[in-house]
Amino acid sequence: MEGDGVDILLNDIFKAYDDSYDQRIIFDAMTAVFPAGEFSVIMGKSGVGKSSLLNLISGIDLPDKGRITIGTNRVSEMNDTQRTVFRRQHIGFVYQSFNLIPVLSVLENVTLVAELDGVPPSVARKKAISLLDTVGLSDRCRHYPDNLSGGEQQRVAIVRSLVNDPKILLADEPTGNLDQETGGLVLQMLTDLAKNSGKSLIMVTHSPEAIAYADQVYVVADHTLIARPGRP
Amino acid sequence: MSRRLIKLFFLASLKHPLRLVLMVLGIALGVSCVVAIDMAKTSVSKSFELSTAALTSRATHQIKGSRFEISQSIFTRIRTRLGIARSAPVIATHVKVKEFKGSVLTLMGMDPFSETHFRRLVVQGQKGSVTQNLAGLLTQGNGVLVSKRHGVQYGLKPGDTLTLLLGKNRRKTRIAGFVDTQDSASNKMLDGVVLADISLAQEILGMGENISRIDLILTASQVEKIRRILPVGAVLVETSQQNSVVRSLSTSFETSLTAFSMLALFMGIFLIYNTVSFSVARQRKRNGILRALGATRSQLFWAVMIEVMIYALAGSVLGVLLGVLLGHGVVSAVCSTVSDMYFVLTVSQVEIVGSTLVKGVLAGMLSSTLAAFFPAVTAAHIQPITLMQRSASESTLKKRLPAFTLGGILIIGIALGVLFGFPGSQESDFIGVFLAFIGYAFLAPVFILCFIKGVLFAGSPFVRGIVRIAMKNIVRSLSRTSVLIASLAVVTSVYIGVAIMTQSFRASIEDWVDGHIGGDIHVSSADEIQRSLDPALVEAICNLPAVADVSAYNIHRIFSRTSGEVHVFSYVRDLSEKQWTWTAAAQATLPKLFDQGWIYVSEIFARQNNIVPNGFARVVLETEQGPVSFKIAGIFRDFFMGGGRIVVSREVMAAFWGHDDVTALQVFLDPGVPVAPVIDRINGFIPKTAMVRVVSGVSIKHSILAVFDRTFLITSGLQILTAIVALTGILNSFMALLLERTREMGILRACGAERQQVFRLLLWECASCGVAAGMMALPLGAWLAWILVHVVNFRSFGWTYEMVVTPLVFVQALFSAGVAALAAGVFPGISAGRIDIGQALHME
Repeated sequence: MEGDGVDILLNDIFKAYDDSYDQRIIFDAMTAVFPAGEFSVIMGKSGVGKSSLLNLISGIDLPDKGRITIGTNRVSEMNDTQRTVFRRQHIGFVYQSFNLIPVLSVLENVTLVAELDGVPPSVARKKAISLLDTVGLSDRCRHYPDNLSGGEQQRVAIVRSLVNDPKILLADEPTGNLDQETGGLVLQMLTDLAKNSGKSLIMVTHSPEAIAYADQVYVVADHTLIARPGRP
Repeated sequence: MSRRLIKLFFLASLKHPLRLVLMVLGIALGVSCVVAIDMAKTSVSKSFELSTAALTSRATHQIKGSRFEISQSIFTRIRTRLGIARSAPVIATHVKVKEFKGSVLTLMGMDPFSETHFRRLVVQGQKGSVTQNLAGLLTQGNGVLVSKRHGVQYGLKPGDTLTLLLGKNRRKTRIAGFVDTQDSASNKMLDGVVLADISLAQEILGMGENISRIDLILTASQVEKIRRILPVGAVLVETSQQNSVVRSLSTSFETSLTAFSMLALFMGIFLIYNTVSFSVARQRKRNGILRALGATRSQLFWAVMIEVMIYALAGSVLGVLLGVLLGHGVVSAVCSTVSDMYFVLTVSQVEIVGSTLVKGVLAGMLSSTLAAFFPAVTAAHIQPITLMQRSASESTLKKRLPAFTLGGILIIGIALGVLFGFPGSQESDFIGVFLAFIGYAFLAPVFILCFIKGVLFAGSPFVRGIVRIAMKNIVRSLSRTSVLIASLAVVTSVYIGVAIMTQSFRASIEDWVDGHIGGDIHVSSADEIQRSLDPALVEAICNLPAVADVSAYNIHRIFSRTSGEVHVFSYVRDLSEKQWTWTAAAQATLPKLFDQGWIYVSEIFARQNNIVPNGFARVVLETEQGPVSFKIAGIFRDFFMGGGRIVVSREVMAAFWGHDDVTALQVFLDPGVPVAPVIDRINGFIPKTAMVRVVSGVSIKHSILAVFDRTFLITSGLQILTAIVALTGILNSFMALLLERTREMGILRACGAERQQVFRLLLWECASCGVAAGMMALPLGAWLAWILVHVVNFRSFGWTYEMVVTPLVFVQALFSAGVAALAAGVFPGISAGRIDIGQALHME
């Protein structure tokens, strides 16, 4: 993927899930653009499809209809392996529940993603330690996730999402499991890291603090994405 | 106990039906082995009873000859001089019956007038009339009686011809009637016999005025009276004691089969433990919530136990059904081996007794209780603090690693104590081996840690990426992988142990056949009664131009109180090479001792007679001169089963058993001479009526090896079943491991791991587990082989042989363990690649 930043285009997306009784439509004819290098916030009620939107952008899930393009790459037309490799190299993901692998140490959790991409272990390790140092966790390399606080775990998750130097960062309620103070610190860290390296950041959140930082705010409602002015 | 709680546990396990099916199947297979082997043991006992014991059951005593023949005049004396009416002369020998497709039956010659005290038979005669007058039927012409069932089965009727095959000889008799009783067991017993008048049997067998034995029903005072009048060479024995001597010959073999069947159940315990402990681990959060809501520890414990017990009951019942099906094949194989190696079973009865079925269900339930106990305790002791901490169980295990290791070493120590502290007990051997397995399983975590860390350290430049992650995952999930690897290591070690034992045994048998039996052609008498070869025939064979040399033997059966039937050898000329396992003096001086009347005995005979190898070893043998104590010059390696073999000088044979003839020849041909034409020439010297067997050395070797191969076929079958149980366990464990790590797999996929990478990761984990298990199995397998060869086989069968170890066995074992684990990982690996990332990320 060329250039420093990439636009994310979602064009005429239809996505529905079959549940036990009925078909649940999430998006219908939804079109949106996330400009390169911007911080976008996604809001909406529970169950409207905020997380599904991130899954579609990251290629974890596919739309039933419509096209998703990131830069020049048509993600929605890629096969599973292509999407996976694309995600690994260009997208970092931060979750509400951290999603660290409990049996891997902090350092191993971070290097794992790089090693999956074929980065030599020594190089991955060097890079991971350097990134962990930037978030103040280089002394916790050998610890396991269960031994860390929520804020520390989320910092590790952020470092993991950055280790392959992606152009896009997706965050699904990254402060949802943290107290207000810790959440604030994590948010600051995430936005700073994204901003300083020119990465696009798309965050699902209800945090007013996050909205204050955002370049663009979207609300998921009525099966589509509605833009709302950011930075009030 | 709350029903709702139990239902809750069931609903959770029913969500994973495949794993449940595998667990139930594992229990069922383990139980089926136990049931099948127990059925085989019961059936051998029943068949023995019907073939031998039932025919003598009413007799309290028997008079036998030291050469398995006594004069009929002894019977006359007992009847006339002592007035003991409850006595009957008997002739019993095995014959084949042409019309019964060559089945081996006991030709039983009896005196119809003396039989009433011993065997009350109802006979259906030629005109269909029913009578108890045996004399009327048997004393007419060549009349014999066979069972009605056999007659109907082979389409025969009274009056038809029945051809008895004795070696090459055929003797035509006439079916005088069918014997039948109201009792099915008695009818089954009669299936194994051809009844004839004693004089006809004497004539058919050429026994003259001799008989095989006299059956007696005696009081204590009569016993003494009989002892006083018995001539030398005749022996009075208790029937039940004699039957138990013969029956005991095969008990070691049967016990070893039981041990193998228990091994399958042992694997089943690993499987259940794995399944239940995984389930408990997966339900940590639910159990924690239940505890928080007020469920007591005891309620959680019993909920787990009851759930397992119900599945165990289903598995046990299925196992009993499978066992009964499997048992029919096993009974046939075991009866055939017992007939080949220990004693002839003329009746093969498949016996299914209630106790076997109960034993099967109990074995399944008890092993399941044992396997589920610790996981149930774990479930009951869940603390809220550990609810969400999977790594806590791993760190607990790592903290307890020294204790585990020490515990393992302690159990192995106890196992060695049991093995070597109770010499002579076959049960203690097997308990010792099982304890050693358990102790070794405790060493699995430390072994895995050392092995994986060693590989990662030694291969750090090469072991990278997915492979490195996979290997680290094994260590990280040590509490799970160590049980899995331990079970695979045990089954692999059994493979190594049994393979080395079989290979060593076969090599020793081949050596023994070549050295001890040897020769290009064997010529022997096929006549059980008149065993001498015609001296003219012996001379003619020796003078054949192609014959380089001959070994000439004099082989006869003698009666032994401790071993039943023993074969005594004397050599007219001996070219065989004996493998001595003990000698009283230097080998060079043995011939001198031999000439002085000392004897050689086979290992099996030595074991049965508790002969302790020292300079004073002696044994009492029944001779024509009464019981005589012989000094033992040496014990030689020998693989003939039954009562064993004794070698004496020609002088001793002639003096004590009255034989100085040649009964068998080993013919050595000049190099390059084809065997078949010489066999034809020898056959040309033999009159058609003579019962002489001429076979090539190669075919003798093949037939002996075939007998042993058949024996190993049963153990191989059980080994395969054990391996299936173990593989079921491994597959189940990998599936459980995947289930437990679904979220982890989801994270990996979300972080950019391709399906293929996840699949490869799982496969590498499985293969590494397999190789680790294989590596762990190598020393255990070698140790087990040593124990099987030098301890278990010697104590069980009295055999000694050299241990032959080839690296190929270890390579095969390592490869098999790796491939088995790899194969077990394919399905979970594919499933792991296909998981729904979004759902997996939201799983607890």
